[in-house]
Amino acid sequence: MVTVGIPKGLLFPKYHVFTSAFFDELGAQTVSSPDTNKTILDLGTKYCVDDACLSIKVFHGHVAWLKDCCDFLFVPRIMGFKEREFICPMFCGLPEMLRHNITGLPHLIDTPLASLQNDKLYTWAKNVGYRITHDKTVIKRAFNRAMQEQSQFCPGINDTNYGQKIALLGHTYHIHDAFINMDLIQKMNDAGFGIITEEHVPASDKEAAVKRLFKKPFWSFFADYYGAAIHLYQTSAVDGFIYLSSFACGIDSILIELIKSETGEFPFLIIKLDEHTGEAGINTRLEAFLDLMKRRTHDDRYDSQPGEHQYCGKSVV
Amino acid sequence: MIVTIPNLGNISIAAKALFDGLKIPYIMPEVNHNDTLKIGSFYSPEEICLPFKIMMGNYIRSIEKGADTILFAGSCGPCRFGEYCELQMKLLTKFKPDLRFIVIDSPLDIGKKAFLKRLNEINLSSSASRKEKLSAMLAAYHTIRILDQIDAKAHELAGYEREKGACKNLLYSCKREASACDNPVQMLKVLNDYKKKLRQIPLDYSKNPLKVAIIGEIYTIIEPFSNLYIEEKLMDYSVSSKRTLTPSWWLKDTFLKPLKINSLAINHAAKKYLPYKIGGHGRECVGESLLAQQSQMDGAIQIMPLACMPEVVAKSILPSIQREKDFPIMTLVIDEMVGEAGYLTRIEAFLDMLEYKRKTGVKWAVCSSFPS
Repeated sequence: MVTVGIPKGLLFPKYHVFTSAFFDELGAQTVSSPDTNKTILDLGTKYCVDDACLSIKVFHGHVAWLKDCCDFLFVPRIMGFKEREFICPMFCGLPEMLRHNITGLPHLIDTPLASLQNDKLYTWAKNVGYRITHDKTVIKRAFNRAMQEQSQFCPGINDTNYGQKIALLGHTYHIHDAFINMDLIQKMNDAGFGIITEEHVPASDKEAAVKRLFKKPFWSFFADYYGAAIHLYQTSAVDGFIYLSSFACGIDSILIELIKSETGEFPFLIIKLDEHTGEAGINTRLEAFLDLMKRRTHDDRYDSQPGEHQYCGKSVV
Repeated sequence: MIVTIPNLGNISIAAKALFDGLKIPYIMPEVNHNDTLKIGSFYSPEEICLPFKIMMGNYIRSIEKGADTILFAGSCGPCRFGEYCELQMKLLTKFKPDLRFIVIDSPLDIGKKAFLKRLNEINLSSSASRKEKLSAMLAAYHTIRILDQIDAKAHELAGYEREKGACKNLLYSCKREASACDNPVQMLKVLNDYKKKLRQIPLDYSKNPLKVAIIGEIYTIIEPFSNLYIEEKLMDYSVSSKRTLTPSWWLKDTFLKPLKINSLAINHAAKKYLPYKIGGHGRECVGESLLAQQSQMDGAIQIMPLACMPEVVAKSILPSIQREKDFPIMTLVIDEMVGEAGYLTRIEAFLDMLEYKRKTGVKWAVCSSFPS
């Protein structure tokens, strides 16, 4: 039986249902790396080129952890989700980065995926499945089951039983990796704050919000996060934003500025992650932000007096 | 309408010829210096890459002098260069609400109609006749082509010149005189003169200078200020340098791209190491280093701004090329904090090692490892 290794990094939280169902139905055994931990992060920083962003390093760590216990490594080369849209240049070159940085890798399943349209995706799945089995009906069955299971799965978070709600923006791989974001979601929930992520904003609302831009964004992530943030801001569905970003992320460096320029004084906390991030610093900043958020609602003496920013928490950067 | 453009190596000279020919009022960006970068990085987001910051500095300076329209070539590729205009618009309209941006994107992305509409915006402000317009465009094309040729030749011959500094001085005076011209015909004449003069520089072909290829991110290698004038430094060291990515290469590449016959040699060379287009000029960087190796050059220097996404991918592939082909490659990462002394030390050390490698014939892996 063939063993396929699935690294638990980057888009794993979004599509792990699809991949595990697909390979399971194909008759392959899947093995995935453990949740990110110190060992994996250290492996990643050891192997990866130093200019890459944190998530790429973490992914290198997962691959290095997995390389000796599988026959195939599943590293899809995701070029984009739609026609003439992209995600990030590093995703396009990820298999090459891995091959040239880590020695002794098993075969990589790195078929390029350029679009999530059903027919294109099926062609891609056929190419991937062919590495495991040559039986077309099995591939078809595996694809259908995987699609069906994926369609019932939503990776987003939308808490309802909390007093105040904060939009947690940023890449899926930052939000769902409790190790690199230092358990941010749990901390916020403990402090009494609910969270909504961009997956719970309807696509039509996002598209409407993106129309404000001069140029149609060519990054799928960019369009999603920008659209979600602006929609949530305009409908006053949340009390503040927290943006989880990693150092040297190209998309975030532009996106954060554009969101900030639209939302003005709206509470906005940016947390930059890298492999040196200390938990104490994050805790202090998060607590300060959440305290100010609480004060905003409980004490309307502090409402919108210009020059009182240091007390009222109108603007927290 | 008073047009301005960002500073980008020889492009500003060719653009001057174009605007003169089209009779469009313009303000040329001033030559980049430390203040440009300082003012640019003050108004830019912290984490954006270096070209954005220098361009912001250019724009702010030109707006102060009275420019009200910015002409800019966009892109819709996966590199963040494509989003520059969006963010620059947001930031600059705070200073000058009536500032206009004309962004020339590929018609495949924005549609033919929008593309022609944007071109027409420039066209409307030109008082030249149709014939004059055509000849201005042709002259601008020839200007950039000849300038790039002179550049390349001077950088190559610097290793062979008998009198040290002859090529560099000639290049300086050529650019100075060309930018002082106020009509395209005169500019072309000056350039052609200099092209002839370059051939008359006394050379000594018995010399066997080091040959180094300059590869990497297109803006940082074309705009000399952003790479701390690396090509001039190499000329000072009597090293022949070669750079494939030039404005005229870019023009050719852009027009041939829809037909998919652009940069065939580079893409073919890069195929084994990076078979897909990853945005920016990542694949070109890998391909050029392999072409440089095939043409018996001594080494290559990759230059990139901090956190440039396509170049980071290329950077992680280059060590394999270095190892497998025994071809030395050094990467220089540049941002607004770069110090010139450290930068010079690295270049000098690299050149010394290349010389040592050539003299002794040992493998690069041996030269570049610490003595035990």
